[in-house]
Amino acid sequence: MNPEHVFRMRQAWMIAKLELRRVFLAKRSLWVYLLALFPVLIFTGHGIDVKLDQKRWSGRITPATVLESIQRGDSEEDVIRRAGDPVSSRRFRIGRDRRGQILSYYDGQRRYDVFIEDALVTNKRARAHVDFEEDRQIFAGFFHYFYLRLAIFFGCLGIFMNLFRGEMMDKTLHFWFLAPVRRDVLLAGKYMAGLVAAVTIFTTGAVLCFLVLLWPQDQAAVQAYWQQQGPSHLFWYGATAALACLGYGSVFLAAGLLVRNPIIPATVLSLWEGINGFLPDLLQKMSVLYYVESLAPVPAPMDPNVPALLRILLAPAAPVSAWAATAGLLAVTAVVLWLASRRVGRLEINYSTE
Amino acid sequence: MTGLAQKASSAPPFAKEIVFDEVSKFYGEVLGVNRVSLRIPGGITSLVGPNGSGKTTLMNLMTGLVHPDRGSITVGGLSPREPEKLMRILGYATQYDAAPRGATGFEFVSAPLFLHGHSAAEARRLAWQALERVSLTDAAGRKVAGYSKGMRQRVRLAQAIAHDPEILVLDEPLNGLDPLVRAETIALFREFAARGRHVILSSHVLQEVDVISDQVILIANGMVIAEGQIRNVRDEIQEHPSQFMIRCRDASRLASLLFEMEHVAEVKLHPDRQGMLVLTRNRQEFSLALTKLAANGSPVESVMAADENVDALYEYLIGGGR
Repeated sequence: MNPEHVFRMRQAWMIAKLELRRVFLAKRSLWVYLLALFPVLIFTGHGIDVKLDQKRWSGRITPATVLESIQRGDSEEDVIRRAGDPVSSRRFRIGRDRRGQILSYYDGQRRYDVFIEDALVTNKRARAHVDFEEDRQIFAGFFHYFYLRLAIFFGCLGIFMNLFRGEMMDKTLHFWFLAPVRRDVLLAGKYMAGLVAAVTIFTTGAVLCFLVLLWPQDQAAVQAYWQQQGPSHLFWYGATAALACLGYGSVFLAAGLLVRNPIIPATVLSLWEGINGFLPDLLQKMSVLYYVESLAPVPAPMDPNVPALLRILLAPAAPVSAWAATAGLLAVTAVVLWLASRRVGRLEINYSTE
Repeated sequence: MTGLAQKASSAPPFAKEIVFDEVSKFYGEVLGVNRVSLRIPGGITSLVGPNGSGKTTLMNLMTGLVHPDRGSITVGGLSPREPEKLMRILGYATQYDAAPRGATGFEFVSAPLFLHGHSAAEARRLAWQALERVSLTDAAGRKVAGYSKGMRQRVRLAQAIAHDPEILVLDEPLNGLDPLVRAETIALFREFAARGRHVILSSHVLQEVDVISDQVILIANGMVIAEGQIRNVRDEIQEHPSQFMIRCRDASRLASLLFEMEHVAEVKLHPDRQGMLVLTRNRQEFSLALTKLAANGSPVESVMAADENVDALYEYLIGGGR
């Protein structure tokens, strides 16, 4: 490789290293960490709840055969005589005067809710205490609707828009413009710093959340999952988060060179991403979400009762293959960075107008 | 106007000049500089003018922080649009006070040296050497944000000289320095210039820089109004006719008295016969003569400079420094 190019790459990496501390430790990055770790907190809370229930109920396990034998029409007294005291009971109101009760039992894996009205069993429902399949669907929903569309989107807005705009506001950008570095190399270095920070924060957040999801699950089910799609899912969730940072990072870096108010690019881009499903094929491809939605290993779950318009807004455009999506996203990123490098070449230090 | 003089130092001058060719810069509708043409040779050159006159704009233009709307600039044969080349031969201590968030004095000076391609050890050595030159080694480990104004001034100077540039550009470098440090800093400029290099500094007080400058460029309202060796510029301004508006009750009598004076070139009576416009070639003599006339009973009500730019610059030249 040309020694000049090698030197420029070293300069870009040097800039990235100098910038990293500022990006990671900036006070204005605090909410980015909160966004990234919010799903981890939710799933940790869920895991703790499941674990506490398991611990509390483990001394009061009722054999499954006994619970299976409970039928509609059995009396409450009979149920308690056969199954013992429930692990929990809740009362509820039916109409104005009548009251009902739910007796919950636990067989070590499943939870049985027995519905009692007028001292007779009216219904019985059994479900796994912790439903792995359901939790994975919930995680997929969180990943698509919260992580990609909200956390990474706004996290990248906060990190990448401030790379140049923040320095302009702090009146420190001249420090970089007076270094013996080409402006496009400076852009590359700052982009690298933002990317390292965003990928570290959000990929770690996604992976951590995924691992926390597995924690309270049935160990046999988790083992089976690890032997099948588990590693691939983990990889693609991480990769999707990283590639989303790559794409959104480039867009917000460029936006930070053009406008001072972050609300403008956030609004424009979120609208653009939101109406992606309505756009013609070619325009759909000029979107970060179009590609990253295709990369996620589990499609976004969609309630069949969601209104049609909202369904179009939330549903991803026709998915493409993982490699086509990766290539497309890299192409979009390259074009946006090239445009940003043109802009940074013309950028001037004029703090008084900031 | 006189052309800029070649450096008087015995050392060979830095061969390449800084050339402005018909350069104009506007900030929206506000004029930065207008049609500036300059050739700045080596040595110490001072840009002098009141606040807002365009000194910083000229410096920012030659360092590529802003780009001209019209005209062209070369600095040592390089375009300011090539920072990767230009910043190897140029160091700029700006007037901007801020340093990157959390940076210590040492980091502030050493970081650009890494980008020059120096090894870590070499960068540390050069940074330390530069900090020693400005007597700031004791505070090197402290954050720049906690520095006093004078310390910030010095750390910016240290950063500008750390890579031993051929051209040193300094925006108001003596502001906020105590007398001892000021003397050391001036000695540093002289040493740089003696090695045949450019030192370009700005000031709004001519008195502050005239004793150290090889040449001076006077700027007002974005235009270069005088340039050259300090002695020539002083003479040039002294000879530049100045206009004054005088209001008085007996204008005709005062006009005839003033017109007899050698330095008064023209007197125009106001149509209301209560005032006049006087053109003089020597403001000092005019001022003395008018004071004497007023003391002898001439009814002078007010005297006002009709040409504010020249007035301001005149004041700078004679050391008033408004």
